[in-house]
Amino acid sequence: MANWSPGRLLLLMESLVSKDLKVRYKRSVLGFAWFLLKPLFSMIVYYFAFTRILRFGGAIPHFSLFLLTGLLPWNFFSSSLSASTGSLLDNHRLIRSIYFPRMALPVAEVVANLIHLLLALLVLESVLMIFGHYPGFSIVLAIPALVLFTLMTAGIGMLLSVGNVFYRDVKQFVEVLLLAWFYSSPIIYPLDSIGVDIIGSGGLLTALKFNPVAGFMEIMHSVFYAGTWPPAWCWISLCSWSLLFLLAGVAAFRKAEPVVVKEL
Amino acid sequence: MGKGSIRMDGVTLDYRLYHDRAVTLRETMLNLFNRKSSTEHFRALDNITVHIDRGETVGLVGANGAGKSTMLKILAGVYRPTSGTACTEGRIASLLDLGVGFHPDLTGEENLMLNGALLGLGRSDMKELVPGIAGFAQLTRFMDTPVKYYSNGMFMRLGFSLATAVDPDILLIDEVLAVGDAQFQDKCYRRIWEFRERGKTIIFVSHDMEAVSRLCRRVIWLSEGRVVKDGGPEEVLSGYLESSQIRNSDTTASPREWGSREVWFDAVTIRNGRGAPSRTFRRGERMVVDTLIRSRLPHPVEGVIFGFSIHRSDGESVIATNNLELNQPLLRIDGSGRASIGIDLEIEEPGAYLLGIALTDPTVSKDYHWRECFYPVTLLEERKEPPLRLAGAVWKQE
Repeated sequence: MANWSPGRLLLLMESLVSKDLKVRYKRSVLGFAWFLLKPLFSMIVYYFAFTRILRFGGAIPHFSLFLLTGLLPWNFFSSSLSASTGSLLDNHRLIRSIYFPRMALPVAEVVANLIHLLLALLVLESVLMIFGHYPGFSIVLAIPALVLFTLMTAGIGMLLSVGNVFYRDVKQFVEVLLLAWFYSSPIIYPLDSIGVDIIGSGGLLTALKFNPVAGFMEIMHSVFYAGTWPPAWCWISLCSWSLLFLLAGVAAFRKAEPVVVKEL
Repeated sequence: MGKGSIRMDGVTLDYRLYHDRAVTLRETMLNLFNRKSSTEHFRALDNITVHIDRGETVGLVGANGAGKSTMLKILAGVYRPTSGTACTEGRIASLLDLGVGFHPDLTGEENLMLNGALLGLGRSDMKELVPGIAGFAQLTRFMDTPVKYYSNGMFMRLGFSLATAVDPDILLIDEVLAVGDAQFQDKCYRRIWEFRERGKTIIFVSHDMEAVSRLCRRVIWLSEGRVVKDGGPEEVLSGYLESSQIRNSDTTASPREWGSREVWFDAVTIRNGRGAPSRTFRRGERMVVDTLIRSRLPHPVEGVIFGFSIHRSDGESVIATNNLELNQPLLRIDGSGRASIGIDLEIEEPGAYLLGIALTDPTVSKDYHWRECFYPVTLLEERKEPPLRLAGAVWKQE
């Protein structure tokens, strides 16, 4: 059996990620730009829907930039989960003919999307600066936040990838889940705009803070858009959810792996 | 335990069995409330214990679903046994499914590098191997072409070349050689023989009994997840072919026996030229049908014809003759007597055949005892040493 040293594992990950990146944009004119264009288009849609139809968000300066700082990480999250959900099933022939650490498959999907996100965030930062949103020192916090969020995404991706082998419903379910998740997360609206404005009580606000991505999205908005230090609850939420999902993902994957191989 | 050895101790592997492959969440929900309808299990391997030493070439034979591929997948590390242990020592090359890790949009070289990483090889090791792999596959010129433009044959060539390039200690082969053109197959077999000569362990799954008997020094016959027989190819293959004939006897020739039995075969043994009982014969080997014949008639019987027939396993008659036809002495039976036929065959098509024997007397138009398609025999190709002989060579200078 091949000896899977950390170096070999790293090479495997790197090879899978670079395959993903190479393959994704073959015969595509705009290539990587699509990773920016998709959130950009949805930003335009939301911008008009909110400011012209719902008459919301007008109070937020550069509302479109606010939208982008949320939409880019969300796009990473949702693309990663959709891709990793099918990652085992799509590679069933490979999995059934040679042994390699299969956990690399869902994780590679997440890492490939992370690379896109990092490049997109660089572009975002330059646009923000053009419009006068200079970053504060708090921007360094984006790094630990992204690391934690990636671990959480990988954990959920592992859970979904094995789940999808047992029940093909998972793929459909993920689509619906992501839609609901998107609107219940502070991505296209600031968290402090609800509670007081809409319901008039703090109940909904507290409930939304338990959303696993709420903390991360608030951090993104505050370090990129507002240039402020994110509140402590965001870190508590992000750290605990990341740890929880990562452990659950790894444990479930380990446990299910021998069975999954036979079910494919 | 040296490199290239394999130990399987009490290996059992269960699959979950679905009656309808589509499992949905709803069914599971229903099953939660209805615990009785637990999932059925199918035992693909049942307490298999096999030890294989370095340098052995082992053939795995058995009907479809006997567990051959499952066994290879356990050795390749793809499946983990439900219970028991399976250990292999050294690097494994598995030819279970060729070119499976190739992505159509990547070039030949990109695919080789990616697959190298999947096989756990370092980048520099793989860089060194690429030219050799491309050369063996005769695809050096096409290394920067996306593999989706490859023909099926080119694709398989690259897959085989990659799988065997890593200098394995153990080679697992599953029927894959059935693909590709004849020339490619020859090349594959040559490489496999080369591995055999270099003392690598080879596990070979095939339905081609000829190939198994030529390549392997040991054959394991699996049936319903268990080892039926494990031993030399002659012994195991003849048993396997015999049983597959019995299993197929509904559609193929079944043994028939009839006659007045005034004179009958009391005991029949089929032996080889050295006198040992055998049902497997290589080319050039004599088959001896040794019989004890008894008669219940009060007087000695003269002029008894002792005939034999050989049928294909599907019942088609190939040879049928007797001592009268071949001007050999007729039998005289007084109470009882021994008689034998020594048969020398030119084997044009090796395989499973059915031998039949008969005692008749046409002068009184009697069929004493017929046993048609009664004894399965296996006729194998002979191993030729040397495999080639020079018929001539001509040098010319113009």
